Parts: sequence; structure tokens; C-alpha cells
Amino acid sequence: MAISPAESQQSRPIEGPGIAGASSGTKVKKVALIGLPNTGKTQIFNNLTGEYSIVANYPGTTIEMRRSPITIKGQRYEIIDTPGLHCLYIHSEEEIAVRDMILSEAPDVIVQCIDASQHKQSLLLTAELLELETPMVLVLNAMDEMARKGIWVDSADLEKTLGIPVVESVALRGLGKEELKAAIGKAKRSTLDIKYGFKIENSINELTSALPFDMEFKHKIATLLLQSDPFLEKSLERKFGRERLVQVRMLLTNIRHQVQGNLRQIINDRRSQWADGVSDAVVKKQKAVYKGISHHITQASRQPLFGIPIFLFLMAFVYLAVVYVSGALDKLINFIAVEPVTRLITSFSLPLFWNDLLIGNHGILTLGFFNAICTVLPILSVFFFIFGCFEDSGYITNFTVLTKNVFEKIGIPGNAITSLVLGFGCKTMATLSTRGLTIRKEKYIAVFLIAFAIPCSAQLGISMAILARVGLSAFLIVFAVLVLCEVGAGLLLNTIIKGKEESWFIQVIPPLRFPSLRAVSRKTYHRIVDFLKEALPIFLLSAVGLFFFEKTGLLAMTKRAMTPMIVNWMGLPQDILDVFLLALARREAAAGLILKMVDSGSLTYIQSIIAVVVTTISFPCVANVIAIGREMGWKTAVMMTTLIFVSSFLLVGVLRWVLVLFVGS
Amino acid sequence: MGMIRNDEQDEHIEQLWYMKEQKVASLDYLKKALKRSFNPKIVDELCACGLVVLGAEASTIKLTAEGEARARQLIRAHRLAERLIADVLGGGDLERIACEFEHTVSLELVNGICTLLGHPKECPHGMPIPEGECCKLANKSELSFIIPLLDLKLGESARIAYINCRNDQQIHKLEGLCIRPGVVIKLHQNYPTYVIECEGSSIALDKGVVSNISVWKNLQGAEEAAVAKAADKAENAGALKKFFDFLSKKR
Repeated sequence: MAISPAESQQSRPIEGPGIAGASSGTKVKKVALIGLPNTGKTQIFNNLTGEYSIVANYPGTTIEMRRSPITIKGQRYEIIDTPGLHCLYIHSEEEIAVRDMILSEAPDVIVQCIDASQHKQSLLLTAELLELETPMVLVLNAMDEMARKGIWVDSADLEKTLGIPVVESVALRGLGKEELKAAIGKAKRSTLDIKYGFKIENSINELTSALPFDMEFKHKIATLLLQSDPFLEKSLERKFGRERLVQVRMLLTNIRHQVQGNLRQIINDRRSQWADGVSDAVVKKQKAVYKGISHHITQASRQPLFGIPIFLFLMAFVYLAVVYVSGALDKLINFIAVEPVTRLITSFSLPLFWNDLLIGNHGILTLGFFNAICTVLPILSVFFFIFGCFEDSGYITNFTVLTKNVFEKIGIPGNAITSLVLGFGCKTMATLSTRGLTIRKEKYIAVFLIAFAIPCSAQLGISMAILARVGLSAFLIVFAVLVLCEVGAGLLLNTIIKGKEESWFIQVIPPLRFPSLRAVSRKTYHRIVDFLKEALPIFLLSAVGLFFFEKTGLLAMTKRAMTPMIVNWMGLPQDILDVFLLALARREAAAGLILKMVDSGSLTYIQSIIAVVVTTISFPCVANVIAIGREMGWKTAVMMTTLIFVSSFLLVGVLRWVLVLFVGS
Repeated sequence: MGMIRNDEQDEHIEQLWYMKEQKVASLDYLKKALKRSFNPKIVDELCACGLVVLGAEASTIKLTAEGEARARQLIRAHRLAERLIADVLGGGDLERIACEFEHTVSLELVNGICTLLGHPKECPHGMPIPEGECCKLANKSELSFIIPLLDLKLGESARIAYINCRNDQQIHKLEGLCIRPGVVIKLHQNYPTYVIECEGSSIALDKGVVSNISVWKNLQGAEEAAVAKAADKAENAGALKKFFDFLSKKR
């Protein structure tokens, strides 16, 4: 590390008298929360700022950086929550955003979150972060789980060894928040120095002095260059221009020629040795550890013998909960809100136009407000709650292990399973989570399959409710069809897309936790609020739109024009066009309308199935298309959307005839 | 066939093996590849011994079956030595030691090392190590100190000996998770996917990744028994013993 002797004698607190003169107290200091995936950065961010970002128990929950201001003892800080980072030597695009942020914004404080029970992996990152020579704080999170594993970290000793404040924390329960706030004020540069040996350190120093003078983190960048970081050279060239780096490049070639052996390997080995040493000094491990029931459940859940029954049980539970609990909520809201309001409005005996605008078939209240509040919301709440439990328990990754072989046989890469499962929550977030896939072919397939036949939480919940009214067999048929669509698409894409890279699968399995009801309720609440904010205006607007479309006679005209497509090919009643039009705006709105049509008996058994399938796969929502564009480029996004649109209508027609053949009309 | 030390001949033969791997047989290529070490006299000698044959107008050159057998042994010793130095003994001047090694060890010792290393398939540079008798006879010899992780029993722990992987991203990811030589891992599950425990975290790996990892057989007693047995059998009992002492010190 390039700490000059004078500097390393005294580690400097960043706050307090005498540092950087008078600017302290007025300047907003940036605090970056950095750490391995699934170490509780977002939970700590939520605790510190009082804001809420979605937290869950699987690696890669946070995809975008998030910032929020707080004030500690009169000093203003900007807290930055970041996606997981393994080390500063980057090998995949997933992590590059975090490093770019660190290198370009040069945060004033780095808070590294460590999952205390996996401290060794984290210490490798610590070794690198220390080299940035930025004041740091270490948070030992999940201390409770560590104690259960029979591991004991002497945090005071660790603090002494590293020379930076170390805070114990159980972020999930809000413990350690105040201590962390105090520690951020006392963040220090470490005095520690990891030795790489004379040759390498010399080379680093040579490189450091050849780098452009106005570059930040020169020492760290020199080390990364020595490790042949594949992304760094290009990004430096973009920033500083080719000419200014000519000397550096020559020097690098020279050094690589002189120093024998794999430099990256040597540097990594030294860091590993250092981490081992620190860990041996401050960590004690119990030999006899009772692993507890959750350990056995975790193991059982990813082995076929017990894992498959556990999975089926969970699915049955989801189905029953969504159907019965939301059904009860639906009735309740109907009873206490919808019926009285409708009665009230009818009692005013308004002119027909106004009556229709409010509570007619396409009225603002009927199709907009009541649809959202009474039909969609109860189902969504129940589903969000259950899905939240799944996310927080850590079950999803264990499910990946259980099903990987099966999924791979049908063309779905093991690495994509977590993203696909997340698609049942929100397809947009799931699409963004594919950023972690390093192999282009796998990423392409995952993004397509998420957009294609996976129903997102809103659709899934409502589809379940619709199909529950038609019968369990309808539910099974629809999901069999969706599974077939995904499998077919997976196999097809696998044969069409040529991939040169060899596929491989390495996945950290988070510990299974009993989800905290408080945390899940909070998450559900925030998701519902987000849904209402985002969807309610669209529900209302689309209802108004449809209302005027009908009143002007355009709707009837369009219906006549679409008859060959809708009636002859898909076998649906003309009125289903309302559903399709709503689906363009928001798919839940459309599904809510289908629910009404089923209730009023205007859809037959087969028609209900077809209506659900077509709204599930016909087109990805706008947010999803935007996410595809961001991940894969706009050309791909447009191509995928078109492909999905066309193939869904073809598939649905075929499905209709198959159903007529086997089930009878 | 006895091992008469003739470094110059060996060098020519080895180069011809590399050429065979690259599917070239021109004499000019041999000249270029060997540079100053090329010696027409040696080529004549090799022809006379029946180790190589020259093609029409002496423009091509090729190992005979006998020459190939000799080259095979040399290459095998060289690449096994590289494997040993790079992964087990923790690096060093690979090329120089390996070159020295290949000319001096006996067939028995090479087979012994091969067995101990668990019959590795590739050298650290990713070139194939020719199979020896020991690989064909007993793929999983009880003498092996190093076995593939694939062969570890469920619930057993073992120390990683080396990771045989040329995919940088994969190596990088494994390193980030502390899966590297010297670390003790425990095998939790091998179906439908492999799950290991490493430094406190559970990690799922597919068969492809697992097959790249070789581990030390962890039992001290068995180790010593194997040394004694191997030393009994091998001609170079002393050398082998020394080698084991060296190994155990290194570890």
C-alpha cells in the first residue's frame, strides 16, 4: 500500500478539528456502502436513512445504486447503497458500475458490510478497499447467525488490527445503527500495509509515478493494471486519452516481461495469506456446533426426495392463500365500500351519461377505481406478502439447486433460474437481475423467457383468482401451457443461438432464515404503495379512454374489424377487445376485467383459459420492454417484443383448437 | 528401454512431439523451432536408431512408433513436473526445473508422481499430459494423495490441492469465494447439483466446475501408509521418500 511513512504514522479521523479546514460541516460527504452480495447493505441503508429499498435474502437484490441524505451531528452525508461487489479487480460487467462509482466519485467514507459468518471472503475485499486509502468503517452484520454457527469474532481486536472502526450489527433487527452513525464520523484511513514482495511493490511504485498526475487512486489503479484488469485500461484510455498512457503501457509490458509468474495470482495469494492471518488472529470457532432445524430444512429443500414435496406443498399453499384469502378480502371491500358507493350514486339518479361515466360498464369507478382497489389490490397484497416471505427465507436459491438439472435439460440455463423465479414477482426487476449472467447466450435466453410466458405477481395472482372460479383443471391447463411455452422457447433458442463460451454454474446459497413478519409486512406495504402510485392513475385514465372510445362508437367499429382475429381465430367473444385495450395500458387492469366477465358468465370454460393465456404472454409491459432495451439494446428489445406478440397470437389460436378437440366446446 | 541420458536427442524428440500436437511435419519447421540447438548430426543419429523417419526429399520428418514412445515419456515427465511445481509446491521457475526433471527421473518415479497427483490430465499451460501405464491400470489408485473432488464421499472434508481451469472468469469467481488451493472444503451434496461448504458459506457448483478441482486425501495415517508402500515398490525408494518429506514440509 502506498501510505507514505509520515501519513501512516497517524491515521486521521475525517471529522473534527483541523481536517481540511473550514469546509467540514458544510460540504456533503459521500458514504458508500460496499460489500459482497447479500451482506445486508440495503438493510443498513434503510436503517440509516429511514427510507425503504426492497431487501431480500438472495445475492443480487440491489441492482441500481441508491442515494439518500442524512445528517449526523450536524454533518451532512449522502449515503450510497450499491450492488454487491466481490473485488475491485473486475471480471464481469455486473460489478463494474460499483467500481466506476468508487473511482470516479471518490467517496469520503467507505462502509464495508461483512456477513460475519462469511468473514474470510469479505476480508479479501477489505484488503483491496484498504488500498484505496479512503477512510473506512467495517460493519460486522448478521452477528446473530454467526453466533448460531459457533463463530466468534473479536471485533475490538479486529479494529486494532485493521486500524479502522469496526461495528457489530444485526441490521435485520435494527441493531448497531447508532453505533454505525457514530463510527461514520470517526472513519479512519487504515495504517495497515499488505506486503506483496519487493519486485511487485517496486513495479507498482514505478507504474504509479507514470500515471497521469491528475488521476485519483493512482496506487490502486497501478495495482489493478499489474493484475491485467480487462476493463480498466479501456476506461482509462477513454478518460485520459491514449497518448497520456503510452508510457504506462510500455512500462507494463516491461514489467510483465521481467517479473516471472502470474502477477494476478501472486497478488491474490498474498491477499489470501493476509486474510487468513487476520482471520486466524481474531476469529474463534467452536468445534461442536448444533446446526439446528433450519440447516436440515435447507438441505432437505434442495434434494429431490424431500425438495419436490416441499416445493409442491409451498405451491399449493400459495394457490389456496391467493384464492381464499384474497377472495375474502375482495368480498369484504365489496361489502364495505363498493356496494354502498354504487347505491349512493344510483340514488342520485344522475343523467345517463354521468351515471355511465362513473359506474357504467366502462365507468371510471367500475373499471378504474373499484377494479384496482377491490379486485386487483386484495390479490396483489396476498401475493406480495407470500412472495416476500419466499424472498426473505432464501428459498429461491435452494430451489435453483434442486431444479437445475431439469431446467438445463429443457434449455433453461441454471444461472438463469433465480432471475426466472424473480420474474414471478416483477418481470422488470427480473430482467435487470440478468446483469449477473456473464454468458451472452444465457442472458439472451433468460431475458426472453422472462418476457415471454412468465406471469408477474400481478398477473399470476389474478390469473389464479380467475381460474379458481372456473375450476382447478383450468388452472392446471393454463400453467401446463405456460410451462410448455417456456420449454419450447428455451429449446428453440438453445438451438438457434450459437454460443461459443462454455457455460458454468457457481452460486452462493444464502442461509435459510425464518422470514420476519415485520420485515415482510413492511416490504408488502411498500410494494402496494408503489403499485397504487404507479397503476391507479393508469387504471383511471384507461377507463376514461375506453369510456369515450365506446361513446364515440369507435369501439364497436374496432370490434367489428377485429372479428376475424378475435372471434374466428381465438374463439373469444367480441367484448374481449376491451380487455386487450386495457392490457396495452396495464395488464392487471385487463385481468381484472376478465375476472368480471367470468363472474358475469360471459366467458365459457375454454374462453376463460384462452383469455388468461393471451393476456399473460401477448406482450411484455412497457417497463419490461424498457428493461430489455437497457440490458440487451433497443434492437433486441423491439425484436423480442414483436416475436412474443406474433407468436402469442399464433399459439393461442392453436391452443383453442386443441382445447376444442380434447375438452369439447 | 533404458534411460540413456542424451539431452540433445531428447530435445529434438520433444520438439517433434510438439509438432505432432500441432499437426506439422516439415523439417524446416523443426529447424526454426529449435533455432541454434538444431543439429543435422542428431537427426541422422535419430534416423539410425529408428526413432524418426524422413519423408520424400528429406522435407518432412516424423517420429516412428518407438520414437513416439520415447517422446511420450519425456513429455509426460515434463508436464507432470510442471503440474507438481506449479500447483502443489507453490510455483517457481517452471520451465527450468521441469526441463531438468524430465531427463533425470525414472519411469517408476514418473508413474509414482502421476499416481500421487491423481493422474492429472493437463499441465498448468493446458497441454495434455500423455497417459502412462499407471493411468490405464488403476485410475483411482489407493496410493493417490490427490483425488478429484468428484470422488470425495458425501459429508467428507478435504483440502484443495489444485484447480485445473483455464476460464479466467471462473477462476476469478472461485477465488472471490475463497475456493482456492489450501482451503478445506466439505462436500454436502452431489445430486442434482454439487454443494460444498467453504469458509462458512454454502456454494452450489455444477459438475463441470467440480471436475476441475482436485483435493488432498485428508487422512494422515493413510498418507504415511501410502508412502511406505510406494517406497517399497519403487526403484528409487530413497528419492521418493525425499520427495514425500519435501511435500509434507511444503504443506
